[in-house]
Amino acid sequence: MKRILKLTLASVALIAYSCTDLDDELEDTITEEFSIEGVSVGGGEDGGPLLAPFGRLRSGSAGNTGFFASQSVPSDEMAVGQKGGDWFDGGIWIQLHRHTWDAAHERIGEAWNDAYGGIGECNIALSGGNLNANQTAQVRALRAYFYWRLLDLFGRVKIVTEPGGDAPQSERTAVFDFVESELLASLGIPAVTAGMDLSGSNLGTEVNNYRINQYAALGLLAKLYLNAEVYTGTPRYQEADWAASYIIDNSPYILCAEGCTTPNSSKRPEVDSDPETLEGYPAIFAPTNENNPEIIWSIEYNNTNLGGMNFSQMTLHGPSQLTYGLDEAPWNGFQVLEEFYNSYENGDLRKEANFLVGPQTDFSGNALIDFASDDDDLQVVYTPEINELEPNSIRQSGARMKKFSFEVLGRSNMNNDYPIIRLGDVHLIRGEARARAAGDWSLSLPDVNAIRSRAGVAPLTSIDAAEFLAERGREMFQESSRRTDQIRFGTFDDVWWEKTNTDAYRSLMPIPIAQINASDGTLTQNPGY
Amino acid sequence: MKITLLKSLAVLGVFLSFGLAQAQEVSGTVSDASGPLPGASVVEKGTTNGTQTDFDGNFSLSVGDDAVLIFSYIGYKNQEIPVGGQTTIDVTLVEDTQALDEVIVVGYGNQAKKEITSSVVSVSTEDFNQGVVQEPTQLLQGKVAGLSVVNRGGNPNAEPVIRLRGISTVGGNQQPLVVIDGILGGSLASVDPADIENITVLKDGSAAAIYGSRGSAGVIVVTTKRGKGNQPLQLSYNGQVGVSTIANQIDIMNREEFLATGGNDLGSDTDWRDQVTQTGFAQVHNIAASGGGDGFNFRIAGNLRDTDNILINTGFQQFNLRTNFTGFLFDDKLKIDVNAAFTQRDSQIGFNEAMRYATSYNPTAPVFGDDAPFAFNSSQFGGYFETLGLFDSFNPVSIAELNRNDAAATTLNYGVNLNYKVTDNLTFNLNYAAQNIKRDNNQYYPTTNLWRGNALSPTRRGRADFRSEERRFRLLEGYAAYKGAAEKLNYTVTAGYSFQENDYNFNYFQVGDFPPGVDFDWSNNISVAQDLLEAGRVVADSGREDGDRIIRFFGRANVTFDDAIFFDASIAREGSSRFGSENQWGIFPSVGLGADLNKYLELPNINLLKVRAGWGLTGAIPPSVGLYQQIFNVQNGSDGQSGAATTQAGGRAANPDLKWEEKSEFNFGVEFAMDRFGATVDYFVRDINDFITLANIDAAENNGFSQRWQNSGRLGVTGIELSANYDVVRNDKLKYNTGLIFTHNKNILEENPQGDQVLGNLGAPGQNNTNVVRVKEGEEIGQIWGPVFSGDVDANGTPILVDINGDGNLVTGQGSALDDDADFRVLGSGIPDFELGWTNQITYGNWDANVFFRAVVGHSLVNSFRAFYEPIIGSQASYNFVNTSLARSDIRTAQFSDYYVEKADFLRLDNMSVGYTFNMKEDSYIKGLRLSLAGQNLFTITGYTGVDPEPSLQDGGLGLSNLEGSTPNQNIQQVQANPLIAGIERREAYFTSTTITLGVNVNF
Repeated sequence: MKRILKLTLASVALIAYSCTDLDDELEDTITEEFSIEGVSVGGGEDGGPLLAPFGRLRSGSAGNTGFFASQSVPSDEMAVGQKGGDWFDGGIWIQLHRHTWDAAHERIGEAWNDAYGGIGECNIALSGGNLNANQTAQVRALRAYFYWRLLDLFGRVKIVTEPGGDAPQSERTAVFDFVESELLASLGIPAVTAGMDLSGSNLGTEVNNYRINQYAALGLLAKLYLNAEVYTGTPRYQEADWAASYIIDNSPYILCAEGCTTPNSSKRPEVDSDPETLEGYPAIFAPTNENNPEIIWSIEYNNTNLGGMNFSQMTLHGPSQLTYGLDEAPWNGFQVLEEFYNSYENGDLRKEANFLVGPQTDFSGNALIDFASDDDDLQVVYTPEINELEPNSIRQSGARMKKFSFEVLGRSNMNNDYPIIRLGDVHLIRGEARARAAGDWSLSLPDVNAIRSRAGVAPLTSIDAAEFLAERGREMFQESSRRTDQIRFGTFDDVWWEKTNTDAYRSLMPIPIAQINASDGTLTQNPGY
Repeated sequence: MKITLLKSLAVLGVFLSFGLAQAQEVSGTVSDASGPLPGASVVEKGTTNGTQTDFDGNFSLSVGDDAVLIFSYIGYKNQEIPVGGQTTIDVTLVEDTQALDEVIVVGYGNQAKKEITSSVVSVSTEDFNQGVVQEPTQLLQGKVAGLSVVNRGGNPNAEPVIRLRGISTVGGNQQPLVVIDGILGGSLASVDPADIENITVLKDGSAAAIYGSRGSAGVIVVTTKRGKGNQPLQLSYNGQVGVSTIANQIDIMNREEFLATGGNDLGSDTDWRDQVTQTGFAQVHNIAASGGGDGFNFRIAGNLRDTDNILINTGFQQFNLRTNFTGFLFDDKLKIDVNAAFTQRDSQIGFNEAMRYATSYNPTAPVFGDDAPFAFNSSQFGGYFETLGLFDSFNPVSIAELNRNDAAATTLNYGVNLNYKVTDNLTFNLNYAAQNIKRDNNQYYPTTNLWRGNALSPTRRGRADFRSEERRFRLLEGYAAYKGAAEKLNYTVTAGYSFQENDYNFNYFQVGDFPPGVDFDWSNNISVAQDLLEAGRVVADSGREDGDRIIRFFGRANVTFDDAIFFDASIAREGSSRFGSENQWGIFPSVGLGADLNKYLELPNINLLKVRAGWGLTGAIPPSVGLYQQIFNVQNGSDGQSGAATTQAGGRAANPDLKWEEKSEFNFGVEFAMDRFGATVDYFVRDINDFITLANIDAAENNGFSQRWQNSGRLGVTGIELSANYDVVRNDKLKYNTGLIFTHNKNILEENPQGDQVLGNLGAPGQNNTNVVRVKEGEEIGQIWGPVFSGDVDANGTPILVDINGDGNLVTGQGSALDDDADFRVLGSGIPDFELGWTNQITYGNWDANVFFRAVVGHSLVNSFRAFYEPIIGSQASYNFVNTSLARSDIRTAQFSDYYVEKADFLRLDNMSVGYTFNMKEDSYIKGLRLSLAGQNLFTITGYTGVDPEPSLQDGGLGLSNLEGSTPNQNIQQVQANPLIAGIERREAYFTSTTITLGVNVNF
């Protein structure tokens, strides 16, 4: 008996002594950073430490959230109509188009968080000490691009350049100066000039759509200088012209026109009228656009592990699932404004490329039926006219955005890459910069007509600011450019369609309220909000 | 375990005993204050020799010369009388309404009820709810003030939400700790309700503090039935057969009503809800054998449950085996307890979505494609009709009939307890217990199902999902107790150590694209899946969290002075591996003081007047391991061959300062008893500090992370609980006892560093970003928040909202919900003002009856069915509409407002039962026979037009078993239901049911 007692006592004591260990390793998640260069035939370029920072671009850039939504829905390009019980979503889409958003708007908050997510990833990569000079220059340029998004949307933000660091909220001019200096540093030049020498740049010149070379950095600078007057009050059009000209004159990129083709992934096997290939403008945005010669820098998306582009889900009406044999029924959200659609003349190749309108057919080419049709005609017909933004936007109303064309048997994550800088845009930047620098819009005609000729429309002989903006709109539709362009041309606070609010302060977005609340007073709101 | 109950069981033993050598005949009458007591038990002490009094209270018994007789009767104090040669003994038993000598399990020991200084309620078999009870806590529904057991809709495959005293934690585990036969952390699912002897609920912090963080949400102590020593084999059978029908569902339009609104006519007339439901049928069989010999006893019970739910093709079959053995060794100094339980449960979970779609599916649509008004390729869809191309519209019958969602779970519990009595004063205890749960879930969507089988895809049809998970829990505890006495002082000191460890792992995969047109269950042969040939199609995931530990050292002192003043104090030092090394340990003390005032006041006719006060500090740990650590995701290169790197995307920011959430609770109670009346009142104040939540952080300052797990905020809960019972009639033939419980609590968010928020998104279609619950510092939680409907609509049929603040500017956008000029207001509270339970127990001769009403008052619910499906939206002419008494045909757009928030007060006849106990002849093989008929959820009086007016105390919370690959933070948020979002009835709500049960109870 005593022995049992002793045993018991001893075992309790032993347990008490030995079992105070509370260390617990996480078995199923990674708590240390690592990066592995390419291990076999793929080569090292795509792996390694650049994977994570560039991967951050995917979030919110080509989907119904964040940057794309904040940059596109407030413009005169597109809207998300409330279709009865569908897409009201607490009014956020209506607010976004009618310019009545406030600081709690979820899409705007996502744009902020996505940009800082990217910046955080860049800062970690830069501080890790395992980047070579070229990679460092790329990541700095990439971080500058994320800051450019913040500069353009929010203006006054914190400039943080190392992991775990904090900084006071900078004024918009200081953010501009930072973005400019970082891009210049990555190019190894003190300033953009007419005869600049980029031989000292750590950025390369070789073509790689998914990484930043000298031309991509210059493209970002051109875009920055073009908008400098908006950001800082000081025009920098000459530098925009020089940066754009350098790309056009020295880079291997070409406008994708006649002879620039790619297989048509939308081709339905049984439908003879679907073309076998896409040529020119539509090829730039096709699911197989990864090697398109016009693209200088793009965001890599695919349908397996690099998801995030979901235009088919966003814009198509449910029955269109049967046209393309899509994995999932689309959501019938985003619609193109009628006036914008009508800004294209007939015969403009971009009109056909950018929009889905008219009677729809199914995978076999037969009429596409919508049993829930709002009218007596059961066939799905997308009409350019949208009866109203809310509350009962007709479900088949509005042209649908198909610039990033849909693959047959497609998944909800699409395969198309999303360009950030492409040569067509660079031409328009140069044309506009020259015109604005000299105060003479006719100086933009050579670049404008280069773009128009590729689109199969007659060259213009004269042009003014409004006509230039319209041309830029036709070319750059769905490429997250319209809000910035309208602000620069002073039309963002105009009245159009159902958008009547003319608050000038809305050219800057509000700092997200959740961030202000979490900042302990270090972030203050933009004027007007 | 109630002593009285033990005695009544002993009576049964007496029945079974056979003649022993008797030396002397004793007879007499047993009575109480009002007259003779029939059925009282008379037992010779230390033997099984005994009898029961007859109808006139008379008994006669042969006993030994030096016998001592024990007279007992339920609800009366026992009396022991030495025979000492007497031949006639007349006894008057004294009532013991409060059962003051009741001994209650309080955690690492027992305590006499009167000595307890905290709020503890004990409920035994005879007071349990009747009928087919599928889950142990349902036995207590409405019986314990402050305990709410809510299974909204009553899906037998869903676990109820159990809450003690409202909110106990914001970031931690809300469910009370379950202790089964002294083993903490067991799963209630492993105990069959029929095996339960007693359930004790420890409500307040000072009672639960000894259990540390795991007791922070309260403790439910379950004691299972056991055998008795020196008792021949007893066999008992309990059987129940129950039938369930739909009690309530929300009104929708029939064909005619639907067509009158302009709905698309598809030519048929289908009652979709009738098509997907059936009469539920449940049977329960319990066979138990118990007995004992010299120095040992045992019980073994087998339980079989087979249930068909009201949703077609759903139900479960469960087999449960529970054994326990108790033995005494070394002059009864060493007591060995061995417990083991095994549960196998096969569930046909099915898809609640079938119920949702049955509400919104076109009532003119045919069930089968052949009945379509146009050419329809039925064979592609397994013969069923589908509204092709219509968003979020699927044939409910097809969902319920074609697909399969099955789970199989095996639970094994076992434990050994050694109790060694060193001296009369000192005992040692050693406990080892383990629980292993293995659960497999398989879903199969054949190639012919449109919903998830993708039947209209030109190439990729069919899908199979597999998930298996395993949880292992180990417990090792040792403690010693020393009892001492000095003059008027009695004391017990307890000290011990507890080690708990959890291991968890899961794996999941999903593949699809099976050969169409073949009638074969491809989930049994997934090697043919063409997803295996196409990049990025197979979804696979796995995870493991082993070594999740809690270690606790604890000590407690209980002191009784003069048998009337009671003091106790405890302290626990507890560590959890879920924190970083700096913050692992916390100290959690408690103190309590109680006094039996009547001992000094000696008020006439008062049996008890006790006051007590207690305070305790408990903690709560984060909902998962490692939340303080930064984690990364891995990004592979696009072609799968060109390297990989970590990314912060979808990762988590570190917070090395993450520490214990603390709950301090003060409880004050008064217990009062007279001859026929007894009452208990408790008042408590609870302060929950530093709760662990996913908080917004400054993204610029935190490497781009905009959220991380943080301690922030303070919630104050105050509450009052009252329970009272009264013997209305108490005579020979008729007894009628009525009891009332009342619960009220108030939850105030006292600090919220995150700023005010709106939460509780209504969701797709069309009502995303429509957050309907406000969380505001300084105010009550559970505020339903939104604009107010004026009663008029505009030309579009859009409800015109009210300019609440009268500033001439209508601000009703959801994004503006918290703005100063917003026209929003509190539309109702998701948390009830009070809950009432009213029990009535009637005994008349061999008949007994039990009627139990429950009322919950003051809460409102957002009726999501109405908010989504009631507006007659023109472009939804192919979806059915909800058509409650509140429906208005002129509202043609979906705009959330107070119009969809309804008061959900209700009074429900929760439980009613009638039983008859047969008189058996003494020489019959059948020793006892009882038949009973019980009804559950018999009627509900409410103005609420939704499915179930029960309060919705939390939102979300899929449970770990419903996870699929998503980011770690999201995972945890999905698993963890959010208690700050109260008051939303979601569209997936299960239809409530009424159940009638016939029960038979036989003892051999």
